[in-house]
Amino acid sequence: MKKRGLGEFEELVLLAVCILEGQAYGISVKEEVEKHTGRSILLGAVHITLYRLQDKGLLSSELGGNTAKRGDRRKRLFTITDLGVRQLQEAQEVRQKMWKLVSFLNMRTS
Amino acid sequence: MRKNKNEQVPKLATWLLSRLVNGKYHEEFLGDLQEIYQDRVSTQGRTKAKFMYWVDAMHLLLGFIYVRRTRKNHADMFKHNMLITFRNFKRYKGSFLINLIGLSTGLACVLLIYLWVTDELRMDKFHEKDQHLYQVMHNIPTSEGIQTTETTQGLLAEALAEEMPEVEHAVAVVPPSWFSGAGILSNEDERVKAKAQYVGESYFEVFTCHFSAGSKANFLSKKQAVAISDNLAQKLFTSKEDAIGKSFYWDQGNLSGEFEVVATFVAMPDHLTDPFDLLFHYELFFEKRPFLENWGNSDPSTYLTLKEGVDIEKFNTKITDLLHTKIPTSKHSLFIRKFSDRYLYNRFENGVQAGGRIEYVRLFSVIAFFILLIACINFMNLSTARASRRLMEIGVKKTFGANRRMLAIQYLSESLLMALFAMLTAYLLVLVLLPQFNMITGKEITLAFNLKLILGTFAITTLTGLFAGSYPAIYLSGFQPISILKGGGISGKLLGGFGEQWTRKGLVVFQFVLSTVFLVFVFVIYQQISYVQTKNLGYKRDNMVHFPVQVTDEEESEEKVQVFMEGLSRIPSISSIGNFSHDLMGDHGSFRGLDWKEGKEDSEIGFRNLEIGFGFLETLGIEMREGRAFSRERGESELNAIIINEEAASVMGFDEPIGKTVRFWGADRKIIGVAKSFHFESLYESVKPCVMQVWPGAENVIAKIEPGNEQVVIEALEEHYSIHYPGLEFEYQFLDEDYQALYISEQRVSSLSKYAAIIAIIISCLGLLGLASYTTERRVKEIGIRKILGSSVWGIAYLLSSEFVKLVVIGISIAIPISFMISTTWLENFAYHIELEWWFFVGAALIALLVAWLTVSSQTIRAARIHPGQHLRHE
Repeated sequence: MKKRGLGEFEELVLLAVCILEGQAYGISVKEEVEKHTGRSILLGAVHITLYRLQDKGLLSSELGGNTAKRGDRRKRLFTITDLGVRQLQEAQEVRQKMWKLVSFLNMRTS
Repeated sequence: MRKNKNEQVPKLATWLLSRLVNGKYHEEFLGDLQEIYQDRVSTQGRTKAKFMYWVDAMHLLLGFIYVRRTRKNHADMFKHNMLITFRNFKRYKGSFLINLIGLSTGLACVLLIYLWVTDELRMDKFHEKDQHLYQVMHNIPTSEGIQTTETTQGLLAEALAEEMPEVEHAVAVVPPSWFSGAGILSNEDERVKAKAQYVGESYFEVFTCHFSAGSKANFLSKKQAVAISDNLAQKLFTSKEDAIGKSFYWDQGNLSGEFEVVATFVAMPDHLTDPFDLLFHYELFFEKRPFLENWGNSDPSTYLTLKEGVDIEKFNTKITDLLHTKIPTSKHSLFIRKFSDRYLYNRFENGVQAGGRIEYVRLFSVIAFFILLIACINFMNLSTARASRRLMEIGVKKTFGANRRMLAIQYLSESLLMALFAMLTAYLLVLVLLPQFNMITGKEITLAFNLKLILGTFAITTLTGLFAGSYPAIYLSGFQPISILKGGGISGKLLGGFGEQWTRKGLVVFQFVLSTVFLVFVFVIYQQISYVQTKNLGYKRDNMVHFPVQVTDEEESEEKVQVFMEGLSRIPSISSIGNFSHDLMGDHGSFRGLDWKEGKEDSEIGFRNLEIGFGFLETLGIEMREGRAFSRERGESELNAIIINEEAASVMGFDEPIGKTVRFWGADRKIIGVAKSFHFESLYESVKPCVMQVWPGAENVIAKIEPGNEQVVIEALEEHYSIHYPGLEFEYQFLDEDYQALYISEQRVSSLSKYAAIIAIIISCLGLLGLASYTTERRVKEIGIRKILGSSVWGIAYLLSSEFVKLVVIGISIAIPISFMISTTWLENFAYHIELEWWFFVGAALIALLVAWLTVSSQTIRAARIHPGQHLRHE
């Protein structure tokens, strides 16, 4: 399969899943991303992205615990796969490399 | 425990989501939605939470319908196709309009013809037993070949029902058309004309007739019982209930008498060839004509229902054999035909079914088909010609993985949508044109939206759409993306390919073949109709008015008619009057057994029988070749005299017919005159040998009016008539109008085909216009360069036009032999017809060529006149 890059929102969702460490489901991911970016995000967008990432093999999921608040329905908890981790790292490396090549940005950080 | 109100999530949204999203997501999504809803209720309030619940639910719904259908996203493809279609319509308004006008005119044409055809096909089909309902037809061999009539032996129905096991029921009926005029019903002071049908007892087993008051049993109970239609009951009595038990006087020749209404029936549908208002007992008719006991005489029609699975051929031989056992010497034969065929298959030649109205039904179905075909060809041509504009789109789509099927579907849906638009426009057109159309066809068609019509139009639209879109769909979807996107090929090889050029040109040629054929046909029909209408018939028909007078008793009729006519002669401005029996235009009846020499062989020749009063020949201006006309002064002695026409004289082979004696109907008759040949029937027929006898009591009066005084005379006639026949409507006709009515179906055909031809040529030219404007647009740079190099405007216009004009010329030259064949065949139907003239063809060709040339040059000259700078500055 051809290697595809990660979209910006995909990357944010992947990172949020990593942060939540096993407690990542639709709402928690939505809140996590909102918290860090300050944007308002639609729940559906999160779900669609989660499933797309799962189709790409970057996430895996299983049904987890239920609460009364949810009408006794279980959550689907997402965890990152090895492939997901690698993709995140690759993305990070690519950016790092490119960052380094931008001279005036480096000047400012140093 | 109190149910927490906060748990009340919007139900509809939840339901929608759970219906439309795959079950495996339900638990998670509904859970998430409820959780976030709870949070929002507490932080943002119920309304906002509800709203957001809907937003999220719909978002998930859209998202996960998508997920579920990653492989089959028809909805999206459809949306996309529609979008592209509408954009194309908007962008190329010109070709959109040409397509719309062409297709909708074509479809409107088809729709009108469809309405007309279904109306024609419905005739006489409403009886419940239609599938098994037959009429017995009667073949009579004569010197002019076999004649087929509907009149059958008086006892036939009875015999069939008794002796033929195949027959379920059989009935003898004397239809209203058997009588030359309507009868009169009178009830105290009301008098109404009505059409009577005399029916045998099994009538209600054979035909469908719904009683609204009274019953079949009432009708059958006694001989003087009569069933009348609701309408008639309303006219003569106040209501149908009121009519029952009432008696009235019926006035129709020797069938007159007192009758009692015992039942009323629901009026028959309009789709009836021979409508009637009252039903009498056949017995009444039979009693007055005792000679019907003899199997050699015929009068009533015989109808029957057959049992399942009867072999018609064998049955025909059986009934003919039956006839021959009754009269062994008979050469006549009998056969049956479907009752519902009587309207459409009404012509017999030499005893064999030879078409009839069905030919017009077929003709117009074919015309409708061809007009639609021309319209579809336009659509195909324009779509393929403008393909270059769409090529990029196709290339891009193909590289993105669209396969040929998807592209074909795109083009088909585009043309289906176009057809749908056109159909809606066509409906509007039909609504506007229907009154005019009804006037031409003499029908009362309404655009009633029934299931059949809707399905019919749906089928036509779909077929049109698929057909019109098929060529672009197959052709455009077949391009290789690589050759499109490389760019160079677009205007060169790809579109100029031999096959494609050939197809498009072929289609244009085909259109003009059809248009020219239509045009020639219109010329021929018009010439024939006007020939027929101006032909010297051997008598004068201008300013002749005629009307029937009611004769109740044959004994009295002579006196009554004479008194009536004497009164007429006092009206000024009437230059001459006469009277006659039968109908001058149509059926006169003929008789055999006229003896003009020793031996037997002469008696089988049929002579037309014209019974005329004094003054008839003079009034009509029929000239005598020799001898004299009947003369009133000679009185009684004239009753033994006859006048024959030239044809009869030559059949009899007399050198000097005047003074010869012939014998028929048991008496010797002296020939006193020979009339010059005159057409007393339709020009479909050649003039038949005819014998004229004098009958002063003939019931049809004809008067010649001095030109310009028609109005005054008609009023005077009306007054005179009302003195003699108070309360009756004065129904008069002009002879020339009668004569035109004889050719009413030809006139209808001619005006309908005129419109068809106009529409055909308009649609063809629309197509040509589209192609021409497209070609000039494509060659705009070439035109610019040519102009710079010194070409004149006319030179360029010629260059651009000649390509199309050539096609039209080819079309025309193919059309001429075809139209020659068609018109020759059509004209052969007439015994007297025009010869085909060269100018019909040249005229049609010139019109087609001129219209096409004007269309094309409007585009080319415009293109040629533009300053070359404007063409070339973009380079």
